[in-house]
Amino acid sequence: MAGIRLVNVNKTFPGNVTVIPGLDLEIKDKEFVILVGPSGCGKSTTLRMIAGLESISSGDLYIGDKRVNDTAPKDRDIAMVFQSYALYPHMSVYNNLAFGLKLRGVPKDEIDKKVKEAAKMLDIEKYLERKPRALSGGQRQRVALGRAMVRSPQVFLLDEPLSNLDAKLRGEMRTSISRLHKSLGVTFVYVTHDQVEAMTMADRIVVMKDGVIQQYDTPKNLYHSPINTFVAGFIGSPRMNLFPAHVSKVKNKIMLKADAYSFDAPASLSALLDGYIDRDVTLGVRPEDIHAEEFYMGLDNTLKINVTVDMAEMMGAELYAYFELAGERMISRIPSRMSVSEKDTLPLAIDLNKIHIFDKETGKSIRV
Amino acid sequence: METRSKRLDILFYIILTLLAVIFIAPVFIVLMNSFKGQFYITDSPFSLPNATTFAGLENYVNGLRKTGFFSAFLYSLFITVCSVLVIVFFTSMAAWYISRVKNVFTRALYYTFVFSMIVPFQMVMFSMSKIANAMHLDNPIGIILIYLGFGAGLSVFLFTGFVSGIPREVEEAAMIDGASPIRLYFSVVFPMMKPISITVAILNAMWIWNDYLLPYLVIGNKYRTIPIAVQYLQGGYGSRDMGALMAMLVLSIVPVVIFYLTCQKYIIKGVVAGAVKG
Amino acid sequence: MIKKYVGKYFPVFLLPTVIAFFIAFVAPFVIGLYLSFCDFTTVTNARFVGISNYVKVFSDNSDFLNALWFTVKFTVVSVISVNILAFALALILTRPMKGTNGFRTGFFMPNLIGGIVLGYIWQIIINGVLGYFGVDITFAAKYGFWGLVILTNWQQIGYMMIIYIAGIQNVPSDMLEAADIDGANYMQKLRYIIFPMVSSAVTICTFLTLTNSFKLFDQNLALTGGAPGKETAMLALDIYKTFYNRVGYEGVGQAKAVIFFVIVALIALVQQYLTRARDGE
Repeated sequence: MAGIRLVNVNKTFPGNVTVIPGLDLEIKDKEFVILVGPSGCGKSTTLRMIAGLESISSGDLYIGDKRVNDTAPKDRDIAMVFQSYALYPHMSVYNNLAFGLKLRGVPKDEIDKKVKEAAKMLDIEKYLERKPRALSGGQRQRVALGRAMVRSPQVFLLDEPLSNLDAKLRGEMRTSISRLHKSLGVTFVYVTHDQVEAMTMADRIVVMKDGVIQQYDTPKNLYHSPINTFVAGFIGSPRMNLFPAHVSKVKNKIMLKADAYSFDAPASLSALLDGYIDRDVTLGVRPEDIHAEEFYMGLDNTLKINVTVDMAEMMGAELYAYFELAGERMISRIPSRMSVSEKDTLPLAIDLNKIHIFDKETGKSIRV
Repeated sequence: METRSKRLDILFYIILTLLAVIFIAPVFIVLMNSFKGQFYITDSPFSLPNATTFAGLENYVNGLRKTGFFSAFLYSLFITVCSVLVIVFFTSMAAWYISRVKNVFTRALYYTFVFSMIVPFQMVMFSMSKIANAMHLDNPIGIILIYLGFGAGLSVFLFTGFVSGIPREVEEAAMIDGASPIRLYFSVVFPMMKPISITVAILNAMWIWNDYLLPYLVIGNKYRTIPIAVQYLQGGYGSRDMGALMAMLVLSIVPVVIFYLTCQKYIIKGVVAGAVKG
Repeated sequence: MIKKYVGKYFPVFLLPTVIAFFIAFVAPFVIGLYLSFCDFTTVTNARFVGISNYVKVFSDNSDFLNALWFTVKFTVVSVISVNILAFALALILTRPMKGTNGFRTGFFMPNLIGGIVLGYIWQIIINGVLGYFGVDITFAAKYGFWGLVILTNWQQIGYMMIIYIAGIQNVPSDMLEAADIDGANYMQKLRYIIFPMVSSAVTICTFLTLTNSFKLFDQNLALTGGAPGKETAMLALDIYKTFYNRVGYEGVGQAKAVIFFVIVALIALVQQYLTRARDGE
């Protein structure tokens, strides 16, 4: 039983470079948590601190109920999968899997049983006698997972394990990792810069930037209620459209205005906007909430706009229409059977019930 | 185009063959003369042995007796093999430590190793041989320690360059797998250093096998290695036994040629790797 | 964290090498430096005499300057000849021809033979040739000089050739194909592509031949032993003879060794500087 708890954890490298100013994070037992963020945001450092590969400058780290700041990696009951796989190049696949067990003095027949079990589960039984260099990327990846599995640790740490694979394989491996998590029933902490991996696999996602947690929530909540413009822009592809508006009060009604548009604030947000009268805010709307006119019927609260299409990208099922609004570049996802091309005028409707409003200065959602 | 380059190829083959003959000739001439009576060698060094000049194995018998070549061969072999093993074993460990534990001390040590590579032997030969004497290192076992110290510069340098390029993740994985530092080094790091170990071994073997002055000053009085034995035959102009000298030259070249032909691939690779990094 | 994990294992990993290094190098180096300012016959009876040894190096006789001049001449000639011949051979042997491997093997072989043995091999041959003219290698310094040059070429051409071959083979073939398409002939490819691409091999080989020639000892000892007189003694041999052939001159020998070291160190510094300057471009 091993949840993980970080209390005010700080990481400062020699030369006074603070990567993580003070991190609080609680990961529940058996949970699949993904740390996501742009490169240099401190997600890998956080994972390496949990693994014990990086020392903790100050603060406390608990795995289970035990404070493990000064515990050696091998005694933390963890296993780690590295981006480069870090397989032992001179050992066969079998010995790669068996090495950790041998070091722990596990009897030979038991090692054999565990290695074969893991190999079967990961479908690498055929390669047990091969050296890592004779394997493909996907096979190496599975060996790396196997090496972590055989030790049956309480915590799995995975550092960008899929980023060296091609797109198709990555899709397959996402499924197998999710399945592995369910069947092993242990805690998974996973680092990636790819928000698709985060959305598809995680129970909860930690979005990080500059060593600070921006938001820690389920994929669904992150997507539908991003806490600030950073999370709003980071989660979702194509990214959320962000555009400006000025808040004013006209005849007891709160209006949102820019040169190209003006509309009444949705009732649900009116109260929250009271404090923003005569100030600027940033509006956010997901590309799928900007509809092509013919298909928006049935929506009760929309802002209709006519835009000139800069570029139309055919994606198969849908079409990304790029246009400019109030000086910002925007994207709308519309059905691909519509024929839209460059320079066309396209009538669109923004679903105002799905709109997000952020404080222009702090970038924070006005809901918080 | 085709015929022109073919004609060029033929020209190159002729040049190369001529050069190859020139390169091989010296060794052949020595071999030839080793079968001639010693007084015919200086008179007509370039003629093949004939009925009058042919001396059979007499030169070899003389040479072996005069120089104690067999024991010289064994000393050379013992000192070279042991020193190379000791150098590879210890300097690779030192290099890994230096590259993974970076602090003021290891950095200063590293630069001292690099510095030692440019210092000519004459600078230290006198004090070093006196120290070796005083510490009773003047025997075939003690000299191994001297070779470890004197070979450390280049070897640590080459190993450090290589080990800095090994991704640390593999070592971190072993750490998580539960390997102690010593286990980690011998089970994971050292096997990964195999290519550079071969380079280091070959460069040191070539140096130590042929080294004359260092063993001469440290153990030369009691224990002759092959170069010392050959030099011993010289004994001053005129009086020396040319036949025995020829025979000993042949015997010193034979082990080198055998070694070269068996490990040729590694030797050439090692030379390139060593030169490019050094 | 590896640092912390491994750090306390200093005695296991570092100590054996460090102890040997101190005995064989660091201590002798420091003592050697000190002894160059002393009068001594063994380390224990050293008496400080200031810079008088250094003065004697130049004032007592002209051996050292002769040796220095001889060494410089020899080094210049052999660096140029070895590198030109080695590069030419490398160019020929990187052509798509059959049997190049055998030639490579043959040309490299002399490099493995030790300096003492090499010296005697060439002594026989050179004396054999000179015998037709009624002289031998010790008759005049010029014979010893060219003998050393020939010997050095024979020994080192193969080694340098191997390094040049590696350099030439590192030139990307698509770059040469691009030049073909641009209409470059062989000499143009050599001048504008191969040569710039192997410039680091040129630096390496030049420096290696330079230091090898400068520090030459075994070959010198075996081939001429410095004869006639001390005319063909190079620096290393001159230092050795001062140390061991003249009682009471150990201090002068050590002072010569220090000067020798300084010259070699300067060459190394210049090479470092040149390499950095080129890499910095």
